[in-house]
Amino acid sequence: MSLHGGIPRAIAADVRRGERLEYWTLGWMASVVLVMWLVMGASQAMKAAVIEDVLSLVPAVVFLLSTHWERRRPNRRFPFGYRRANSLAFLVAATALLSVGAFLAYESITTLVKQEHPSVGGITLFGHTIWLGWLMLAALAYSVVPPVILGRLKQPVAEKIKDKVLHTDALMQKADWQTGIAGMAGIIGIGLGWWWADATAALFISLSIIKDAVGALKQAIAELLDGTPRALDSNELADDAKQLIAVLRTRFGKVDVRLRETGRYIAAEVDCATPTDVPTAAELMGDDLAWRLASLSFRPDPREPPA
Amino acid sequence: MMLRAFLLSLPLTLGACDALPRDASGTTERIERSGMMRVAVLPGTPDAAPALTLLRAYAAHHRARVVQIAVHGEHAPHWLEDGRLDAVVGHFAKASPWMADISLSKAIGRAEPADGKQPVLRIARRNGENALILAIDRAVAEREE
Repeated sequence: MSLHGGIPRAIAADVRRGERLEYWTLGWMASVVLVMWLVMGASQAMKAAVIEDVLSLVPAVVFLLSTHWERRRPNRRFPFGYRRANSLAFLVAATALLSVGAFLAYESITTLVKQEHPSVGGITLFGHTIWLGWLMLAALAYSVVPPVILGRLKQPVAEKIKDKVLHTDALMQKADWQTGIAGMAGIIGIGLGWWWADATAALFISLSIIKDAVGALKQAIAELLDGTPRALDSNELADDAKQLIAVLRTRFGKVDVRLRETGRYIAAEVDCATPTDVPTAAELMGDDLAWRLASLSFRPDPREPPA
Repeated sequence: MMLRAFLLSLPLTLGACDALPRDASGTTERIERSGMMRVAVLPGTPDAAPALTLLRAYAAHHRARVVQIAVHGEHAPHWLEDGRLDAVVGHFAKASPWMADISLSKAIGRAEPADGKQPVLRIARRNGENALILAIDRAVAEREE
């Protein structure tokens, strides 16, 4: 690991675990997309579910790309390395989540306004014609299992490695299993002759997805605008960032302290002369989170702008 | 929590309904009540006989009879959408421009053509009338066997 590149040893194993979970996500969700595509028939609701499942792969892909770039060393063209790839990936993942929510809301509202009555007919398998809805229910039930398991496994890893992309992906998995259940409710509704059931269930779920996505987008934009580090699951300032500001002020008096986040790393700037005894990251952040403080700089005379 | 509630209520929901699917607009019940199944045959469908035989058998099963309604070809799909007809017999392509508005059966009396744009004999049903749609799909499949 160098100053601006590579993954700190303290979290290397957890990042690799995150990557393994994302490879599992890609494989498992690809099988879900295949199964759903095989049984979707002419159902618009199922088509929407397949499109939503394809879109849901975006956070997993951008997480893997961002960790790949994070490992690259800085060079002449990118002297600060590629750690901000994670911030960019976070913006892409949050946008993908918003797209899923918006797409689902649009499909639901269109169905309700046009009063479209979905048709689900029969399919002949091994000489027997059965209602395609039963196969759709089985496919949707299968589609619910991977995201429930993977989402729960990703949450603690995202917290350990302070990765908002992985956290957004866990939100996407929540969106996946919720839309799967809405889809099942919808197919049962269609079976009972309630044409509006599918769209109404999906509309409620789309609102919750949009709420999560807007929250993630606010955080992603704050990160790209060099805002003070935000918490993993809200737009509030991160606890470790607040604590770092307090520790720096205790050490250096009532001076201005600015923090910004590049991916999972914090850079701190303190308005005072460089002390003779510069504290270590472990002294400021504690042993567990020392890796998170990537740089600490001092500005002796902050009022004087560069010539 | 939501997942658990849903999974617990699923057997109750499915157990409560005797047969799925049902029609969204109650076409099957209306056919039983009125004793009449309203069918239109599109002009230019000389080979409509097998489809009509199939529909007559379906109607008889519900103690009803097929009544052919005279309607202009242009209006028939709209009448079907509005519920003024229960089925339309005619030549439709698999990739018909109507496919989103009405529910088309598989090809009747022949294999599904490789070219999705080639019109062949089919029965069109009103969207959402899933009990009727499934029953006719079954009858078409049994006939092809």
